[in-house]
Amino acid sequence: MADASPLPEAAVAAERLTKRYGSLTAVEDLTFSVAPGEIVGFLGPNGAGKSSTMRILAGTMAGTSGRAAIWGVSVALEPAEAKRHMAYMPENNPLPEDLKVEEYLTLRARLKDVPADRVAARVAKVMEDCDLARRAARQLIGQLSKGFRQRVGIADALLAEPKVVILDEPTIGLDPHQIVGIRDLIRSLRGKMAVLISSHILHEVEQVCDKVVIINRGRLVAQGRPADLRRELIPTANFSVVTRATLADVTRATLAAEPAALIEALGETEGWTRYRLALPAASPARETLATALIAAGLPLREIAEERIGLEDIFIAATRRSPAELRRP
Amino acid sequence: MRHFRTLLAHELRAAALAGGTWVSAALFLALMGAVHWFAVLDGAEAPQPATPLEATFQLFWIPLLCVLPLLTMRSFAEERRQGTLAALLTTPASPAAVVWAKFTAVWLTWLAFWVAFAGFPALVAQRLGTAGDFRLGDPVVLGGGLAFIAVSGLLHVALGVFCSCLTRSSALAALLTFVGLLAFTAAGGALEKLPIESWEWLGWLREPAAHLRTFSHMEDFTRGILDARPFVLYASGMLLCLGLAVLTVEGQE
Repeated sequence: MADASPLPEAAVAAERLTKRYGSLTAVEDLTFSVAPGEIVGFLGPNGAGKSSTMRILAGTMAGTSGRAAIWGVSVALEPAEAKRHMAYMPENNPLPEDLKVEEYLTLRARLKDVPADRVAARVAKVMEDCDLARRAARQLIGQLSKGFRQRVGIADALLAEPKVVILDEPTIGLDPHQIVGIRDLIRSLRGKMAVLISSHILHEVEQVCDKVVIINRGRLVAQGRPADLRRELIPTANFSVVTRATLADVTRATLAAEPAALIEALGETEGWTRYRLALPAASPARETLATALIAAGLPLREIAEERIGLEDIFIAATRRSPAELRRP
Repeated sequence: MRHFRTLLAHELRAAALAGGTWVSAALFLALMGAVHWFAVLDGAEAPQPATPLEATFQLFWIPLLCVLPLLTMRSFAEERRQGTLAALLTTPASPAAVVWAKFTAVWLTWLAFWVAFAGFPALVAQRLGTAGDFRLGDPVVLGGGLAFIAVSGLLHVALGVFCSCLTRSSALAALLTFVGLLAFTAAGGALEKLPIESWEWLGWLREPAAHLRTFSHMEDFTRGILDARPFVLYASGMLLCLGLAVLTVEGQE
């Protein structure tokens, strides 16, 4: 619930978190944070340790070592207090089948210490926000579609207006319309609460998140704003150029603008050849390349900088070798 | 334990709406109705050392073994199977509050079954036209018997709840509870039959055995004798089982 307590430095803090299941290390020495009001995407391949990390942060599983804190409160030492600041929607979103949506949310509101005189209003508000009020409020949860069940899970997470929301794969199994709805809902939380969200749909994460944390085999491989990670992990800026000029002419004109450029012919259609020109990401020629090629007299039909998406960043980050990861 | 009342209300409501509860109630009343009816018939044929109501309470172990596991089996096992227990524990509600709420709900349901059974002696008296004849429904026997069920139920229900914490399978939880209750009841019964007093090498067992005689406790209660020792036994057993249940729930990963 909203209160006047001072803002902590990190709404979510994982410090050297480690989780071992016997000889298997699911999470190793993982450190990252989520600032108040920030939306952070938590990414990693299957089995990377995302759900284990989220469960430790949510207090439903103990870590082997390290510290997890929610709103400055240690999850291990003061679990009840930490849970008061946080809501967690686990993967697969388990819900009781035999309760109606409204009944379930009312029960959860009471358990989450929503003041008795505000329970009905909060339940009505989250059902409205999650588009449950009209079609699902009085239905048994067991009769709901996957999309509505996910909405119930998110409505539950928002009930007590927590400072931190942890969502494990909230869009899994949803159709594109439902994904857009959930995305808009999560986006509306920016600035109001810190959100840590794991998803396999990188395009969605990129559209919603301020920052991403990428883990692989339980270890942190990258974290930061997508633009910063792009610079860090993908050192080249690739341009796609379609022209009638020969490879020799294109090479000459490109190297004149940027001597470190790499040129590659991709294929020819009706006399027009597509080239990929790879420039160092920091090269000033990124801004003058088009002018330079035209000035060299090349007959250009198309020139565009290839967009580097979160998918490229994710692949680059998760391919990092252990030696690279150990580098300070 | 701040959320105990909220959780208890939810558990009681869930029990009232669950088909399993009503099936268990029907099974319980059918069993006890049959047992009581046969006790009345026996009493009508020849003089018996116990009144029909006392004889019925002496067979308390039949519904204990057949019906109680059906009530306790779902308390945790089903929630663990569905994953809703983990979701419940993401709220500020403590594992202790969850365990106590589930225990109390089943215990109250179990008592409600027995209170419903209390209508049988009145029904028999009405059918036989012997209303006011206390031999068929002595209030002391009835009250004492129900008090025994309430007190012993503390441990019996707690054992069932603990067994339900141990597994995701309701059937396995019921089986574990059945075995646990059978062992406890049979141990109490066996200790009453064995002439421990005459076996010197078992002398050390005399004192603890005196505390475990479940059937003696039941007879004492139905005679209106209230001894503190059964209270201590069943209450401490309940605390042990529920403590273990809380630790099990906390430790589940």
